[in-house]
Amino acid sequence: MARTLLNIIWQTALLWLVFRLGVYLVGVLHLALPGNVAGMLIMFALLTSGLVTPRYIETASGFLLKHFAFFFIPISVGLMSFGSLVRQSGLELLVILLVSAALGVAVTGMSVQLLQKRREP
Amino acid sequence: MSNLPLFILFVALTIGAYLATRWLFLTYRHPLLNPVFLSTVALIAFLQATGLTLEEYRPAKDVMTYLLGPATVALALPLYHNRRVLKSHALPVLSGVVAGSLTTMAAALVAGRGLGLDERVLLSLGPKSVTVPIAVEISRLTGGEASLTAAFVVATGMIGSIMGPSLLSLCRVKSPVARGLALGTVSHGQGTAVALLENETAGAMGGVAMAIAAVFTALVAPYYLPLFLH
Repeated sequence: MARTLLNIIWQTALLWLVFRLGVYLVGVLHLALPGNVAGMLIMFALLTSGLVTPRYIETASGFLLKHFAFFFIPISVGLMSFGSLVRQSGLELLVILLVSAALGVAVTGMSVQLLQKRREP
Repeated sequence: MSNLPLFILFVALTIGAYLATRWLFLTYRHPLLNPVFLSTVALIAFLQATGLTLEEYRPAKDVMTYLLGPATVALALPLYHNRRVLKSHALPVLSGVVAGSLTTMAAALVAGRGLGLDERVLLSLGPKSVTVPIAVEISRLTGGEASLTAAFVVATGMIGSIMGPSLLSLCRVKSPVARGLALGTVSHGQGTAVALLENETAGAMGGVAMAIAAVFTALVAPYYLPLFLH
């Protein structure tokens, strides 16, 4: 238990370092990419090249990804400040968001599955 | 930290709401029991009822979201475990994400124009399917309003993660690769969180889709969005 906790802490520190590196590089190179996504790509490169082996990050990664949804709760509470816009044109916005999300999900899901099937007859 | 008891209360309430709604979701597996949706509603209701403000919630929010960066980096691990799938499916992955991103942007702007929204709101809607930090940048670049875009991003994340899985089943999309990509393309991190609850492959693909959609949208939005304004 204590060992797992310790692993989570130092492995999270390693993930954090790569995250900061991503943020830094995006800033310096003026990339059109969020720092966290850049960090993810850097970590992927580190894993692929063998510089970092999965066991260096797997305990913390498992924990953080299991609770990935948690981080979006405090962010979503911020929607509260758009009460007046919601009262004014909330229904229209809901329709737009629903229709466009549904079309995007259906198009991506169906096209990927179709192309996958063509590949594996 | 000026108000420690309030800070502790907010953190405890947020974690408590998350654990309770996560348990509900895992027990009943109904899409409307989405933990982010239910917890957010509960917390907003609490703030409204007590007269506490978003400003007072902010310190707790900043601390709780601090690990989102490292957590996104952690997505590299399931991605690494699925590297063979990624390599052998490079074409379907890329074309699926590109098609989905273009479709959802076009649909939002066309529907928004049809419903008579003004240009500022339309431009703020454009990048709503990509993760918050980059959506805000795109919005600034194209003439939208950053805070409005951030709200649309979060709302899209919630909507896509609630109805996405059922819609995919309705469309008979069973492949975990396709499901993860669809959820990540439209609903970024929140979609990826739901994909992670389905299985590891879907979760990894959610992360992939999030990354590709972010880069692709940033590159094309300044040229693509104006096409739907006039």
